[in-house]
Amino acid sequence: MLNDHILAQLLAQNKHWAAEVEKNDPGFFKQSSIAQHPKVLWIGCADSRVPESVLTASIPGAIFTHRNIANQCHLNDDNILSVLEYAVGTVGVRHIIIVGHTHCGGVAHAWATAHDKVPHEHFANWGDHIPRMLSPETPLSRWLEPLTEVARAKPELSVEELGVANVHAQVMNVTRSKAVQQAWTEGHDLWIHGWEYHLGTGRLQDLHLTAGRETFEGPSAIV
Amino acid sequence: MFYDHVLASLLANNKQWAADVQKAEPAFFEQCTQGQAPKVLWIGCADSRVPESVVTASRPGDIFVHRNIANQFHPDDDSALAVLTYAVEHLGVTHVVIVGHTHCGGAAACHAAAQAPADPAASGTPLARWLAPLTALAREGKLGVAELVEENVKAQVRNVVRSAVMRGAWEKGRDVWVHGWVYEIGEGTLRDLGVSVGRGEAEA
Repeated sequence: MLNDHILAQLLAQNKHWAAEVEKNDPGFFKQSSIAQHPKVLWIGCADSRVPESVLTASIPGAIFTHRNIANQCHLNDDNILSVLEYAVGTVGVRHIIIVGHTHCGGVAHAWATAHDKVPHEHFANWGDHIPRMLSPETPLSRWLEPLTEVARAKPELSVEELGVANVHAQVMNVTRSKAVQQAWTEGHDLWIHGWEYHLGTGRLQDLHLTAGRETFEGPSAIV
Repeated sequence: MFYDHVLASLLANNKQWAADVQKAEPAFFEQCTQGQAPKVLWIGCADSRVPESVVTASRPGDIFVHRNIANQFHPDDDSALAVLTYAVEHLGVTHVVIVGHTHCGGAAACHAAAQAPADPAASGTPLARWLAPLTALAREGKLGVAELVEENVKAQVRNVVRSAVMRGAWEKGRDVWVHGWVYEIGEGTLRDLGVSVGRGEAEA
């Protein structure tokens, strides 16, 4: 049915929200339309349970955001590379935060594919959302191939440990991007961080993987 | 240990938010760990002023999200295709909404680029490659910026409709829809462009 109650509800909620904001903070939207000056780029998962601005109680304008399956940064992906280029080069963010999360379906699928099995005891806390092994050569399996490779290379990792290793790997990838390497060469104060969102508690955890200009040892950009 | 007030602020806000939610709805986070069942996939712009869950006053769990520069859905982009596949085939969303917005830097850049003759030398960066289809759209239609924002949304709706994921879902009889919206940054309001496509209306 066209425009069923789901969309009508979202639009109604938006209308109410906009009116409330204008009432409590007159001129907020007009001010927003002039420009954006976010200090942070959030690279997170598309997962519906991890909306960056809700979890951090941030207002529109605070966080430049890119969300994809399993918070990946592939260095041959124009989608994320263009986000990095724009966020660092044009918008001028000071922090790039890669945010992974517990109970990530993408991580679970990669783990299941690498281990060629879906043992229920490994996903005991996943409710009824049991991941499956992916059929090869689909966009989703191609997308998760680098992560699946990490799972194959480190078979001792549990699903959640793979999730954390994933964040570490993506932080490394972001530091190697041309956008970041160029910013560091030009002396910009730009920091890359890795965080984990714990679904069960609603809490963000800094994994202390922070990389900055001082850790930069010379031009080594791949793309 | 690294310290910066911007990050400290985000983490402190999160701590307060989590405590407030835990107090108001003690079962909420536990429920989140059981899975997600969003009905909507939002494909929007990375622009910091358009956080989908804030502008629609939605809760964690409501909206599956992909945000990139100028809310694109390129037919050969594995990132967007993986999101669409997961959303439609694994999670069973019933609505895919492409959301453009006024004052879009990407659209403005493409509009400006379209006023000049095409320059092959300027297409070497990821951003230039990413925005090439949008620049072409601006050039072909001789569109103003506001028109370009709308035509861009309509073009992305067409791209999603033509995807193997959507065609496959419709062939299986799934009642899933694709819509095009524009967020007016100066007003804070969402506008439906009325270009929705469902199973019965998809092109052959």
